[in-house]
Amino acid sequence: MSQQRIFKFFIKTCFLVVFVSASAQQKNDSIPKDSIIYKTNYGLRLGLDISKPIRSLLQDYNSGLEIVGDYRISKKWYAAAELGNEKFTSNEDFTNSTSKGSYIKIGLNYNSYNNWLDMNNEIFIGFRYGFATFEQRLNSYQINTSNPLLPAQFNTTPSTENGLTAHWSELLVGFRAEIYTNIFISFSGSYKIMVSITDPVNFKTHYAPGFNRVYTSNTGFGFNYTISYLIPFRKK
Amino acid sequence: MKKYYLFLSLIALLISSCEKDDFCIEPITPNMIVRFYNATNIAETKAVTDLTVNPNDLDSIYINVSIDSIVIPLDVTSNQIIYNFSSGTNVDILTIDYEIEEVFVSRSCGFKAIFNNVTVTSDVSNDWIIGLTETLENTITIPTIDDESAAHIQIFH
Repeated sequence: MSQQRIFKFFIKTCFLVVFVSASAQQKNDSIPKDSIIYKTNYGLRLGLDISKPIRSLLQDYNSGLEIVGDYRISKKWYAAAELGNEKFTSNEDFTNSTSKGSYIKIGLNYNSYNNWLDMNNEIFIGFRYGFATFEQRLNSYQINTSNPLLPAQFNTTPSTENGLTAHWSELLVGFRAEIYTNIFISFSGSYKIMVSITDPVNFKTHYAPGFNRVYTSNTGFGFNYTISYLIPFRKK
Repeated sequence: MKKYYLFLSLIALLISSCEKDDFCIEPITPNMIVRFYNATNIAETKAVTDLTVNPNDLDSIYINVSIDSIVIPLDVTSNQIIYNFSSGTNVDILTIDYEIEEVFVSRSCGFKAIFNNVTVTSDVSNDWIIGLTETLENTITIPTIDDESAAHIQIFH
């Protein structure tokens, strides 16, 4: 009985070895192609960041609009850009300031998700270069004295610094799903590192449009929720 | 697996970017530090007995203490503050004039004031304060008060 088992195992192993070596040799031979090729749409995809208008409605001192777009350049790669305008008020313990301006971000997305059939979803990673030009107005401030006996008064004379600029790089990850033919929703998060930023004289840029809050180490992060429509140019 | 590493490193970056921004830990508007010295031996400090210190018309900062150095605030809403220094029942009046410079510190700390061209004048009655300089004059000018690392003025009595 056990001898028979050993024999069977031996035979099977032989078959396996033969099969593997045969397939290794046949690698370069022509394999009959699958007759059905699933094509997906290539084209220009345009959309809106929906988080910004919602935030504008909820907080009247904030407003913003961001147009997003990408163009598929290969199976996995997309050239992407965002264009936006934003107003944001930073209310801190001793200062209140408003940043207002426009920004552009350009870069690439890489889709790391392998789609089934003709589906067109994405788990993407991306890189952006961002540039913003904006102004920051110091609405009011109070000198910080740790003294209840001689309190400082609020200074409410606003001062505005125009022509501020920011350059940054951005790393992002996100998901995109085709919810209906050529209509996509997407969510992504990004980590930003400031390359250069101008600060107002004797003050600091607390918020740069597109970059969001500027942390002390000149880093920042952001989240995007977008709805976009793909204008198909061709199928590939 | 490669994708996971990328995602995890991004999360790590996000967490590491939470910072001390929300806490004010930098020095803010400095107070004036006053040190009391012996008028007959100017190298040695001398505690004042029953010292009471109050700005004009305001509550006392020190009441009947025996101490050789005090910390008093300056008024950032004005260019002058007048202090009453009492040792027992003897009252001396110190007038402090200064220019205010507003300096931005950080997001959480906001602006601080530093004081330039600070002139301290003691009234001439010389009840218990004999002088403000080593030559016992009644007035002294300090270029700036921008930190609390050392005493700003000396009072000889």
